[in-house]
Amino acid sequence: VTYRSLLAVGVVALVPAVAIAKPARAPTSAAVTNDVLDQIAEEMVRDLQNLQLPNAPGPYHISYKITEVEVNDVVASLGSTTTSRPRHFVNLEARVRVGLFKDPMQFDNANYIVPGAEQYDGVASRPLPIEADGRISRRAAWQVTDEAYKEALIQLQAKMDARRSTGLANDLPSWTAEKAVVSEEPVVVPDLEPLEQMEERAKALSAGFRDQPHLRDSRVALTSYLERRWYINSEGTNVTDTRRASGIVIVATSQADDGQELAQYFARYGQTADDLPKNDELAAEIKKLSATLAALQKAPSLEKSYSGPVLFEGEGAVGMVRNSLAPHLGGTPLPEGLNPQQAKQFGGQLTDKLNLRVASRNISIVDDPTASSAAGKALIGGYKLDDEGVASQKVQVVKGGMLEHLLTSRTPSTKGAISNGHARRTTAGGMFHGTATNLIVSATGGTTRQALIGKLLAQAKSEGLKFGIIVRQFDDSAITAAPEFSRRELYTMVQSADIDLPPPASLVYKVYPNGKEELIRGVQLGELQIRVWKDVIGVGKTPLVYNFLAAPESYLANKFGGGTDDGAVPSSGIESAVVTPDLLFKEIDLKPITSGRRPKPAIPSPVGSK
Amino acid sequence: MHHGSRVMAVAVAGAIAAAGCPGGGGTGTGPKLVPDSPTIDQGRDLPEVPVKIVTTASAPMEGNTPAAASPILEAMASENARWMAQLGNEPDPAYYLSYQVVEQRAVGLDAEGGALISDSDETARNLDIDVRVGSPALDNTRALSDDDGLNSPRARRGVFPFGTDPVAIKNHLWLETDRRYREAVQALVYVRQDQQTLSKAKKRPPDFSASEPVVYSEPVAKLEFDKAAWIARLKSCSKKALTGAATRGSCNVVFQLNTVWFVNSEGSRIQQSYTSAQLQVSVGVKTDDGMGLVRLEQRFGATPGDLPSDAEIDKMIKTVTADLKALNEAPLAEPYVGPAILEGRAAGVFFHEVFGHRIEGHRQKDETSGQTFSSYIGKAIAPEWLSVYDDAMLKTLNGIQLNGFYRFDDEGVKAQKVSLIDKGVLVGFDMGRNPIDGFGKSNGHGRKAPGLPAVARQGNLVVEAARTVERADLEAMLIEEVKKQGRPYGMVFTDISGGFTNTSAFAPQAFKVNPVMAYKIYPDGRRELVRGIDIGGTPLIALQSIRAASREIETFNGVCGAESGWVPVSASAPSLLIERLEIEKSFVPPDRPPVLDAPNIRQTVGGAP
Repeated sequence: VTYRSLLAVGVVALVPAVAIAKPARAPTSAAVTNDVLDQIAEEMVRDLQNLQLPNAPGPYHISYKITEVEVNDVVASLGSTTTSRPRHFVNLEARVRVGLFKDPMQFDNANYIVPGAEQYDGVASRPLPIEADGRISRRAAWQVTDEAYKEALIQLQAKMDARRSTGLANDLPSWTAEKAVVSEEPVVVPDLEPLEQMEERAKALSAGFRDQPHLRDSRVALTSYLERRWYINSEGTNVTDTRRASGIVIVATSQADDGQELAQYFARYGQTADDLPKNDELAAEIKKLSATLAALQKAPSLEKSYSGPVLFEGEGAVGMVRNSLAPHLGGTPLPEGLNPQQAKQFGGQLTDKLNLRVASRNISIVDDPTASSAAGKALIGGYKLDDEGVASQKVQVVKGGMLEHLLTSRTPSTKGAISNGHARRTTAGGMFHGTATNLIVSATGGTTRQALIGKLLAQAKSEGLKFGIIVRQFDDSAITAAPEFSRRELYTMVQSADIDLPPPASLVYKVYPNGKEELIRGVQLGELQIRVWKDVIGVGKTPLVYNFLAAPESYLANKFGGGTDDGAVPSSGIESAVVTPDLLFKEIDLKPITSGRRPKPAIPSPVGSK
Repeated sequence: MHHGSRVMAVAVAGAIAAAGCPGGGGTGTGPKLVPDSPTIDQGRDLPEVPVKIVTTASAPMEGNTPAAASPILEAMASENARWMAQLGNEPDPAYYLSYQVVEQRAVGLDAEGGALISDSDETARNLDIDVRVGSPALDNTRALSDDDGLNSPRARRGVFPFGTDPVAIKNHLWLETDRRYREAVQALVYVRQDQQTLSKAKKRPPDFSASEPVVYSEPVAKLEFDKAAWIARLKSCSKKALTGAATRGSCNVVFQLNTVWFVNSEGSRIQQSYTSAQLQVSVGVKTDDGMGLVRLEQRFGATPGDLPSDAEIDKMIKTVTADLKALNEAPLAEPYVGPAILEGRAAGVFFHEVFGHRIEGHRQKDETSGQTFSSYIGKAIAPEWLSVYDDAMLKTLNGIQLNGFYRFDDEGVKAQKVSLIDKGVLVGFDMGRNPIDGFGKSNGHGRKAPGLPAVARQGNLVVEAARTVERADLEAMLIEEVKKQGRPYGMVFTDISGGFTNTSAFAPQAFKVNPVMAYKIYPDGRRELVRGIDIGGTPLIALQSIRAASREIETFNGVCGAESGWVPVSASAPSLLIERLEIEKSFVPPDRPPVLDAPNIRQTVGGAP
């Protein structure tokens, strides 16, 4: 019996949701032992009882998230390593809530952004030792709790002041009451792939881009990581979980004859490297990327705007789900004071549409963090508990086109609501937002590809169009961003960028009535309203299972400043999966991209030149 | 507001490191502030005994081992030549192209309170390219008259593959050269536009100075250390450091192996390789009035083996813990103007901040800079017994390894000894390849951190005094000065953590440095530690206020951050008596110490919390 288990009163037991049983298991943590957890838990009890400044409320809730991360990242280009980096660190994050009234959950500090000081969010963190040391861990808990408590008080005061001065009343409770959960059994996952082995693999694969002078840059990146986490709170929740993922990202860039930038990528993630494609398949993908870029160099641009049917195939359909549907599924009210630009990243188009039709009648959508595979393929979006310590749950989001549930956290949007275990992504102000995990789109009436193309062409014809459009991939700036811009260009682009647009489509074809496909470039989708999902006029038969890391930053933020600017590997982001069949939408707006053109290099690539 | 925030941002960064460094100027032009020069007290009654300085040095070409040259240099030179063959013929011709590749292995071990917090060992290669478009008289690097920062090259890592494969290496050089050339051409368009609007009356110095090509290679150094032993030492050190009042006690080391390859279109091919080691013992606490106190001691060496022994580390711990305890109990100081002593290392940091950053040549050129010192060349700015030079060739001074040693700067120019003040007269500037009036050539001080463009920076700054007194006499002179000025007390500063100096023409040409250990000295000789103060003033007046120097010289080793990033530096100086220093109250944030006492595990385990 540990000290932590004594905390729990009326707890429910939890069955591990993501059962990963494979050989070569990673050892359990040497840093975060039962002694460390006990010391931190003791500090939590001491602070809950004693931490209080004069004339101010003490904490009514304290939670700690301890994460231990091990990562191996490698990147290679043209047969040589450019990055090889192992990392290991442990972090302790404290969240403290202070409230008014007898039931402080009715009005507390959270979900409010202090104007001009959003760092005051009741959250504080610091590193913990990478080897077990209960004494130092407890001291860290004491310090982060103290810091988070003082921040929470500032946040509470500012929130009260704002309520008084604006007169805005909101009688929703600040937080939901949830049952405590105990699950102390370590989740054992396969060990990381060894760095040296990853490096050799990346080097060998990246050599596949040698001798291709039409390319600018190319790289093969591999990542392997695990994140052990422990969540303890003053309600008695005491759970541990481990997330594990491996991924491969292949990128190549080029320039069209008119100077337009071109980028193509291939990215796959799984629970381990065993879930990733084998080397011969990857070598073929490398050849394909290179050939596609050669074809894109000569391909015509979209000459003028297009409004009409678009078939999203494979990763194109995944991109459509990621960019036009997933951002709107959160049911967490956005924090007061969030700036409208940031708010747009959190969608919001479905907030008032519960029990209304939001998609074609044949479409159903579930979000299932309890699933570890779909159609025989590993999913990486699952977990046992979310970031607020709530057990993961499968949620029926849309059934027969009707919106049944949104994805929620402990910040309620209606009275009496409770979390369905989807607290993952944070907003400014430190609050967790309901977020998609393993998002599974299914549809009745799936047809063959040939029938879908027929439907696309028929619809195009009825609109008076001479061709239909197929989108096979969207750009992902977390993967493809390259440091091609000067400061001045960046400044101009930031000033002129339209943040409402989805990422550009990076692999687009015109399809003509005779069935001939023509690769085109420079295609940008218009702003996507959720209502387009009501007009899905065709679906494929076979779903694609696609894992990815959802970048915490927006497409434009990654494109302009972050992403892979320094050639790093996208090994951070929210583990996510989308499962979807091909989707034919009745009407989508496309427009030509005219930016991103620049002079070609004064001399050709040295690759292949004599 | 724009200028203030920029300078402050750098000042904050400076305060974190051992020697904070200034930001650049602001934007636009404005009035130049040149204070009238008062008569300088030459202190001719001081004993004619110079400071004791014994140095060792190594000339740039020493240890040249052509056979050690990596094939990387050949690949770099080949791609450089391929580009230059074409770029000279472009509508916007390039006249200079350099490649610098830095391979840096950084080992970091950090322990807190007896536990290992981080253990990292990472190696990265970074490619930096300097391409000049236009002509040396006017090129893409010319600052715009209303500089909004958008014309500067974007600071970022240039990817460069490991190994020596010429295919991979040349492709990345090609890619990055294309990006940087395009950026430079674009910048030159704005430079030319700007020039059309400027007055032609003022002749401006050129933007670039050529230099002799250098061909040098030294063997790749080895970084050797016993990791397990160091972890044990750091854990033991940090356990001892977390004591008494301290809420934080940490000990860490950073060991580096740097190998730098440099090639330019002048024909230089340089391979330098060296290790460095740094140990830091640091303790901290928050006082009752909310002031965050940090006390740290750092030591630097060329190799991990040069770092202090266990016994010496124990002394460092004792120093920081005793100082922290004293500071935690010390009263806040009041504003003050009067005589003060800057003790050796504090005097070194003071000179680095107040004088050293002003004589970084490019600051005399920036249209937005106050250019404080440019009109003082050939004039007395300090007592005639005082001389200052900067010599990056120095390896040791009085047995202490100097952190600012290098053979070639980051622009491929040989390190040189530069005389800055000779017998009280301002005679020189630290120069990179950016010329100023009267100083047309680099003297090997163009320095930078990877990812940033080089500017003139300090190396090993040395303050010499031809007339000195014993340390005890210096204090007696201070008390005498206190009485003469009718002050209740004088001040002694033994440690300065850093600071900043404003060089923009839009703001007062003032400096501010942050003393850590500051004592009031009363006429009866009594000492009282105080906290919460800054030293402020203007550089020329401060230099003219120096009245005496001690015989012993002390060395401050550290890293300095400015617009071209963090570079290793040293500053050596005797203790100095200043006739008049201005002391201001520093900002104390509205904070408070932890509400609860630190947890005591033995009292709570198994019992009521």
